[in-house]
Amino acid sequence: MLNPGVYLEKLSLFSRMLRLEGLPVSPRETEDAAALLVSLGFEDRERVKVALRTVYAKSREEQSIFDRVFDGFFVSEETMRRQAQEQMRREAEMAETRRRAEEELKLNGRPIDLTAEQRETYALMPEEAREYLRGIVDRYRDSAAQNPKLYANFIHSVFVKAILEEQLRLEDAGTGVEGLDPDLGLLYRDISQFRDAEIPRAISIIQSISRQINGELSAKRRRGGHSGRLDFRRTIRRGLETGGSLYHLEYRKKRQRRRRLVLLCDVSGSMVQFSEFALRFIQELNHVSENSRVFLFSEALFEADPFSLQNMDRFRDYVRQSGIYGRGTDLGAALEKLCALRPAVLGDASTLMILSDSKTVNQPRALAALREARRLSGQVLWLNPIPEGKWKYVRSVHAFASVCTMVSCSTLNSLAAACRRLAER
Amino acid sequence: MNLEVLKRKMDEANYIYDDALATVLAVALQLGRPLLIEGAAGVGKTEVAKVMAAALGRELVRLQCYEGLDESKALYEWNYQKQLLSIQVNQASADKDALTKSLFGDEYLLERPLLRSIRSEEPVVLLIDEIDKADEEFEAFLLELLSEMQVTIPEVGTIRARTIPFVVLTSNRARPLSEALRRRCAYLYIEYPDLEKELRILRAKLPHVDDQLCAQVAVAVQKLRASDAILKKPSIAETLDWAAALDALGVRELTPDALRQTAGFVLKNSEDLAALDEADLCGGDCGCEGHTHGCEGHSHGCEGHSHGCEGHHHA
Repeated sequence: MLNPGVYLEKLSLFSRMLRLEGLPVSPRETEDAAALLVSLGFEDRERVKVALRTVYAKSREEQSIFDRVFDGFFVSEETMRRQAQEQMRREAEMAETRRRAEEELKLNGRPIDLTAEQRETYALMPEEAREYLRGIVDRYRDSAAQNPKLYANFIHSVFVKAILEEQLRLEDAGTGVEGLDPDLGLLYRDISQFRDAEIPRAISIIQSISRQINGELSAKRRRGGHSGRLDFRRTIRRGLETGGSLYHLEYRKKRQRRRRLVLLCDVSGSMVQFSEFALRFIQELNHVSENSRVFLFSEALFEADPFSLQNMDRFRDYVRQSGIYGRGTDLGAALEKLCALRPAVLGDASTLMILSDSKTVNQPRALAALREARRLSGQVLWLNPIPEGKWKYVRSVHAFASVCTMVSCSTLNSLAAACRRLAER
Repeated sequence: MNLEVLKRKMDEANYIYDDALATVLAVALQLGRPLLIEGAAGVGKTEVAKVMAAALGRELVRLQCYEGLDESKALYEWNYQKQLLSIQVNQASADKDALTKSLFGDEYLLERPLLRSIRSEEPVVLLIDEIDKADEEFEAFLLELLSEMQVTIPEVGTIRARTIPFVVLTSNRARPLSEALRRRCAYLYIEYPDLEKELRILRAKLPHVDDQLCAQVAVAVQKLRASDAILKKPSIAETLDWAAALDALGVRELTPDALRQTAGFVLKNSEDLAALDEADLCGGDCGCEGHTHGCEGHSHGCEGHSHGCEGHHHA
C-alpha cells in the first residue's frame, strides 16, 4: 500500500496547479482534500479522484479542468516514465521536422524571408501542404535563378498565404471541452463552425441563456430601489396582514428609462448565421426587444418587419425573400441610408448595434458613414463574429474599432455576454 | 458513516446509484459540507435528498425556492396577529417593557424550514430545492447558515444549530450561482443515467412491469435523449411514467404504434412530438421493436435480464 503521506506532501503543489489553471482553490479546500486522502488512502485511484473533485471543483467547467490536472498530476511512476519517454520522442521528432523545414525554406540556397513564427507554423503544416509548397519551389527554381527579385517575391507571397491559412486553421481548432459536454462545446466554439445538426441545440442554448438573463434583470429591476414616493394603495393593502397597522411601507418603483435599440444586421452570405443567432438572442431579451428596430443590409438596406421577426424559424426564408441575401457588403451605403431616414431613426436616446464582420467594399466611405452614425446616435456598439485573435489579420477591423466599441462575439458564450451587457444598460 | 455503510443504507432504501455518486455523498457527510447538486431537470437531484433522509433515518425538511423568496418564508416570521392580540389583551398591564419583551419570544415565532432544521432536537436532512430560482440576496443570506450553521434574528440574536443538518442544495443552472455559495459546498453534477442504470431504476421502481418492456423503454428513452431533434430530453420520472402507462394499457411490446399512442408521457412539447413523427425515430432508432424496418427478432426484444436490451438486430 502506498503511504498517503507521500501524496499529502504533493497536495499543496496540486492545489497550486489547480489555481494556475484558474480554479479558485482556498486553503480550506486543501485541508478537506488532505482529510479525505488520509481516510481514503490511494488504493482506489478512481475513488480518490471523485472525492477530491467533489472538494475542489464547484461547477461542470471546473470539473473538466480538475480531471485534466488530476490525470496529469497523480500518475504512477511507470506512467510518468512512459510519458517522459513519449515526450522525448515527440521533441526529437519535432526537432527533425524543424530541421527539414529549414532546409525546405530555401530558394537556390538562400533562405525565404519568413518570420520565426511563420517558420514554426510551416513546420507544423501537414505533409501534403508542404509538398505542394515544395513543388512550387521546384517548379520556379530555374526562373528564380534567372530573375531572382520577381520570382522570390512571388514564392514568398505563396508561402505567406499558405502559412496564414494554416495559422487560421490552428486557431480554429476546438477548445477541447466538446468531447466532455456537447453544450459546453457549442458555447465555446466559433458560431461559423456549427453544423446544421447542431443548430437546434444552439437555439435551445440561446433560449435558456436568454431566460436566465431575463430572470436576472427582472430580479434586479425589482430590487432596483424606489423613487422615494410612498405607494399608499399597496401600503394599505399590505397593512391588512398586520391588522391594519402600517407595518411595512411600500414605495413606488423607479421608472426605467429605456434606450431605443437600432440593429443593423449584415446578412451577406457568411454572415447570415451569425446575424440569425444574434437576433434570436436580442428578440428573446424582453427588455431590449420591446423597443428596437431591425435593419438588414448587404448591398442595400431593408427594414425587417417586426411580425416576421417573431418567428425566427423562418428568418432565413424571410431574408432570402427580401432580395438582399447573398450579395456583397456595402456598409457605407447602408449606414448613409440609415442616417438619412426620415423620421430619424437614430437619436441621442438610441443605441446603434451593428452585427457585421467588418468586411465591406469601399472602406473609407463606410468609415465616414460610421462616424456620422456615431455623431447622430447615443452610442454605437459593434458585434463582430471574427475572434479577437484574428483581428490582426483583418485591416478594416482596426479602422472601425477606432470609431466605436467593438466586441468579439465569435462564440455563443461571448455573444451572450455582449447581449447581457446590452440588456443591463 | 463510511462508504460501505452508506451504500448498504441506500440499497435498503431501494435507491439505484453508482460508485461515484456514493463516494460524493460519503465525502459530503464526512466533511460536514452542504452538497450542491446540479444537472438537467429530471435527473434525480431532489431524489438524492429524499434517499439520504431515508438512509440516515432523518426527517426531510424541504425549502422550495422561487423568485421573491425571502427570510420571512424561509427562516422565520413573527406572528403579527398573535402579537397584536396580545398587545390589546395586555393593554392595561403596568410593565410595558416586559410586555414588549414578551412579544418577541418563542411563543410568537413562526419557524420556517431553515430555522426548523437547525433548531430540531434530532439532526435532519435540509433540502433547499432549486436555489437558482431564488434571488441573489437570498443566496447571500444563506451563506451564514451554510458556513457557520447559525442564523441571526435581530430581535433574538444569533441562534446556533442544536444539531447539524445534512444540507442538499439543488440547481437546474437557470442562472449561475455565486462563487461564495459554491465554495462553501461539495459539488455533484448528475448526468442522465446510462442504459444499464436506467434499466436498473425501471426494474427497481416498477417490479411488476414486464422485463422486456422495461428494456425496450430504456433503450427508446436513451435514443430520444441522444437525438438532436428532441429539445426537451425525457427525465427519469417521465421514463417511469411512460413504462407504467404502457403497462397499464396492457402493452407488452413497444411497437411503433404503441410509441406514438403514448409518446405524450415522455415528450412534453409539440415540437418534440412533431420531430418524433418527422424524423421517423421509430425507424430502427428509438428502441422499439420496429416492425416496419425489417428488424429481425422483434419477438424477443431483450435477451437476458441481467444486461441491457440486445434484441435489436437489423437485417
